[in-house]
Amino acid sequence: MPSRLVLTGDAFYFAQWTHSVYAMKPDLDAAIPELHILGVRHHGPGSARSVRRALERLKPDAILVEGPPDAADVLPLAAHEQMRPPVALLIYAHDAPRNAVFYPFAIFSPEWQALAYALTHDVPVRFMDLPLRHQLGDLVRAAGDSGEHEAGDDGIAAVAARDAPPESPGSHMLFPSLRSDPIGALAAAAGYSDGERWWEHMVEQRRDDAGLFAGILEAMTVLRAAAAREPLAPSMQRREALREAWMRRTIRQAVHGGARRIAVVCGAWHGPALADLSGEADDERLLADLPIFDVRTTWAPWTYGRLASRSGYGAGVESPGWYEHLWHTSAASLSPSETAVRWMTRIARLLREADLEASSAHVIEAVRLAEALAALRDRPLPGLPELTEAAEAIFCFGSDLPLRLINERLVIGVAMGTVPGDTPLAPLQRDLAQEQKRLRLPAEAGSREYDLDLRKPTDLDRSRLLHRLTLLGVAWGQLQRSGGGKGTFHEVWRLEWQPELAVALIEAGIWGNTIADAATACACDMADRAEELSVLTGLLNQAFLADLPDAVTHLMARIECEAAVASDIAHLMGALPPLAGVLRYGNVRKTDAGVVAHVVDGLVARIAIGLPVACAGLNDDAAATMYRLIIDAGGAIGVLQRAEYQAAWHDSLKRVADMRGGHGLVMGRATRMLLDAGMFDAAEVARRLGLVLSRAGDPVQAAAWVEGLLRDSGALLVHDDGLWHIINNWAMALPAETFIAVLPLLRRTFATFAVPERRSLGERARRSNEGSRPGDAHRTGGDFDEPRAAMALQVVTQLLGIAQL
Amino acid sequence: MTRLLREHAEQQYAAELATLAQVDDRPRPPNWKLSPWAVATYLLGGTLADGTVVTPKYVGHRRLIEIAVATLATDRGLLLLGVPGTAKSRVSEHLTAAISGDSTLLVQGTAGTSEEAIRYGWNYARLLADGPSPAALVASPVMRAMSEGKIARVEELTRIPADVQDTLITIMSEKTLPVPELNTEVQAVKGFNIIATANDRDRGVNELSSALKRRFNTMVLPLPETIDDEVAIVQRRVADLGRALELPAEPPALEEIRRIVTVFRELRAGVTIDGATRIKSPSGTLSTAEAISVVNNGLALAAHFGDGRLRAADVASGLVGAIVKDPVQDRVVWLEYLETVVKERNGWKDLYRACREMGG
Repeated sequence: MPSRLVLTGDAFYFAQWTHSVYAMKPDLDAAIPELHILGVRHHGPGSARSVRRALERLKPDAILVEGPPDAADVLPLAAHEQMRPPVALLIYAHDAPRNAVFYPFAIFSPEWQALAYALTHDVPVRFMDLPLRHQLGDLVRAAGDSGEHEAGDDGIAAVAARDAPPESPGSHMLFPSLRSDPIGALAAAAGYSDGERWWEHMVEQRRDDAGLFAGILEAMTVLRAAAAREPLAPSMQRREALREAWMRRTIRQAVHGGARRIAVVCGAWHGPALADLSGEADDERLLADLPIFDVRTTWAPWTYGRLASRSGYGAGVESPGWYEHLWHTSAASLSPSETAVRWMTRIARLLREADLEASSAHVIEAVRLAEALAALRDRPLPGLPELTEAAEAIFCFGSDLPLRLINERLVIGVAMGTVPGDTPLAPLQRDLAQEQKRLRLPAEAGSREYDLDLRKPTDLDRSRLLHRLTLLGVAWGQLQRSGGGKGTFHEVWRLEWQPELAVALIEAGIWGNTIADAATACACDMADRAEELSVLTGLLNQAFLADLPDAVTHLMARIECEAAVASDIAHLMGALPPLAGVLRYGNVRKTDAGVVAHVVDGLVARIAIGLPVACAGLNDDAAATMYRLIIDAGGAIGVLQRAEYQAAWHDSLKRVADMRGGHGLVMGRATRMLLDAGMFDAAEVARRLGLVLSRAGDPVQAAAWVEGLLRDSGALLVHDDGLWHIINNWAMALPAETFIAVLPLLRRTFATFAVPERRSLGERARRSNEGSRPGDAHRTGGDFDEPRAAMALQVVTQLLGIAQL
Repeated sequence: MTRLLREHAEQQYAAELATLAQVDDRPRPPNWKLSPWAVATYLLGGTLADGTVVTPKYVGHRRLIEIAVATLATDRGLLLLGVPGTAKSRVSEHLTAAISGDSTLLVQGTAGTSEEAIRYGWNYARLLADGPSPAALVASPVMRAMSEGKIARVEELTRIPADVQDTLITIMSEKTLPVPELNTEVQAVKGFNIIATANDRDRGVNELSSALKRRFNTMVLPLPETIDDEVAIVQRRVADLGRALELPAEPPALEEIRRIVTVFRELRAGVTIDGATRIKSPSGTLSTAEAISVVNNGLALAAHFGDGRLRAADVASGLVGAIVKDPVQDRVVWLEYLETVVKERNGWKDLYRACREMGG
């Protein structure tokens, strides 16, 4: 089931678009000189810069930021020296952590800059939006109702949690309107194709922020008046009213607290509503009797990938990496042309890292082209489209791969934030952080591959950690392959941290306070609920990999229980090989194999008893499955090297071989395994062969029997004297007409051998019939020239790099 | 009515160019007949302030043309890439017509293109009689473009042998063409530039050296995005060409064009328009340009041998000829398409029968 996350903000976060700073003198109280409302866009370097400038100019004695007041406790951490955006405020319901809301911040978010200014200048700062403790339930319900169809497959709903008139999560995608996309309306009026371009052009790239606000404030008032005519669902209307009432209440509280110069950083959409502070009684009536939820708040690292709008985040921006670039260049007071130059240089360096051609001359030409394009489009400066198109024309030479690389690594960016060590964390998060530190396994935004060598203690611990997290449903690492060509002690993992994993981790907190405990509890719970033996053995395997001895013990008990009542021998046989592997080779992972031995005892006994019955009445498909299972189980029992297992197994096989009316394939294989184990001698097998192929037998079953005996053994037949003589002697002893009668049956098996195998068989048959005797193959030696062979040997050892002994 | 079989762009659209030049009040780069804005308008079409309608010469992304014009304005060479028939040569011709007023400074790249074609040659009679002199020099189109500050066109750049291609490097980076025999040089006048075209499929023939590559901005011209775009292109070009060729037939019905474009797009993409059936693709490109020639061919047949109206039978021969380039493989592809798609489609019976009669 998709986790019910709620992401804050939305595409029209209307106020994002405006940038109005205006001062007014509310006639609430003569003692309040000024209320400055700074309308911002959620993530926009231009807005952030203007907010910063405005605050430095105004020097307010109180700052109110549109955001969840629930976060008041963790707010001071924003100024912590270890805090690096992008980070997000994570607010979740205490009793159901999957109901969580993220408020992402980047370095170029105006709210972040307002917080940073306030905290570094010791100005009191408060969040002023409707607290989530009063609305989390509604939000999650809304996300569940309508958010998910928009959310896509990651299950995150983009809900208008903090701003914007359209309080209908998701609906804006379907019905764009003045309300849902006011900036789009403004942009269309200005002749732009979409709001993002218009905003980018008008505000984010603007160097001079004077004079912009008056115009936009006016537009805002008009837009609000026009939008009021559009119908709005009552629930949304109520929420908007509640939020604005709460904001006004917070402003009044600040006023009563004695603030003389208040700066309000909010979506400009709300600007007009916050200017008028009269009507306190109405607001209080509205805000009475709000529901209360128990919520917890913390900071979580965020990534640019998640900030990008293509990730499904409603208030996302198209190009976080580009915005950060704009922010840094403007913070460093670089000239506009230098912004383009630096961007192109970064592109060139990125391409060079990827071994693509990108010289300084390319950069020069790309910047020139971008500027020419901007001029052609009447833009004062090259924006991202111009820069990207110039890069495409100059660096890419008709291929779109470099462009994808640029988009992935620069335009969106792979940055991931960090939060300070003393952030309040859920116990599991803390445990994971410690483990990550201890094992030097940092959480990173980009995906990275780790090749773990399980013989090294650190790598072994890493592997255990990742397996435990997988058990808990925290999909940080993906096991690419284990073992493979490099031996059983290798595991290759691909790690990619996603911000939602923080929620998964908090959610997993119900299982325990450390990852090991939680994984154990989770595995035991799954074991109790699982009914199929194969699920249990799979789980057991996972528990072994994750090194959870308690879970293993529990699982063993469960497996024993289930095995006792399981009537399907095939299931038991399927479970045996992995367990045998653990028992025999378990020491790479240093697991305690003792517990397994007991279960294996039971399994072998049950299989040995049940096998003959399970082999009765098989059709061809079932026989083929059973054939494979018998071979695997036989291999597993062979690996265990326990005399009592062997005896029981052979006894069981003998009964299969002696069955009347069993499937030939299974019986033939049982005979063969007994021959290999030395339980049957050659004469016995020859007798049985003759018996099966006798004229009275069913030809189809006879053919199957021979196939069971000899399948995949062509090469063996050439070289194994014992097997050869059984077949050869039997064939030689046949009268001519009987031989012709059984020939079609034999051919069915022999035709499956490879051509060279058949040729060798033919040659061998001719030789042996020409009078050579049994044992010829062993009569080697004596015929070759020792000194000459020794000379060749010397060269061969040299070629093979073997030290001369 | 002109006697010419095909007029140059600057002749055919002389009126538009003149009006644009009159209205255009934006700054023009040195030696440009029009400002970059006006050039973009000329190619993409639009309505001028005085109400003159400029026909679009290229239907497609506006940004492509903008990049091309901006490239030329920053005197970088422009390399147009694309599969055959994506209007590379057309864009290059119209750009030079609009910028230099002269689209005739053209070097056709072939496997046999020599250095003389790009630099200069000699009038051997005069060379033997008088010895080396400027009078004995035969200037190449590139040399003329340099001295007159115009734009030279190089078609099929990648078909030119690599050593000959590289003569362009000095011309493009130093903007000069030395003539050692006369101990002199021709220095490019402002406004000189080069537009080259190259075929995506030919890229392996003579891949550009990275030194030369670096001197070009590359632009890939895509196949038309939507069927409506493509139909509009075919219709416009057929009308143009029909006028030039003086075909007496009526202008073709939109429906017939749409059918041809549909066939081309489906075979090109290897899947039917509704996305329901997978089909094989033939070996040829099946570009828009070929669709245009199929319609034209059909028009000519209809005019001279038919009743003057474009019918399925008139189109069939051209269609089969355009699609079946390889007599063995493509024939199989075409017959499969005919039997599985054309035959089943409503209202396409006449086309199916006509194609069957062709023995396609």
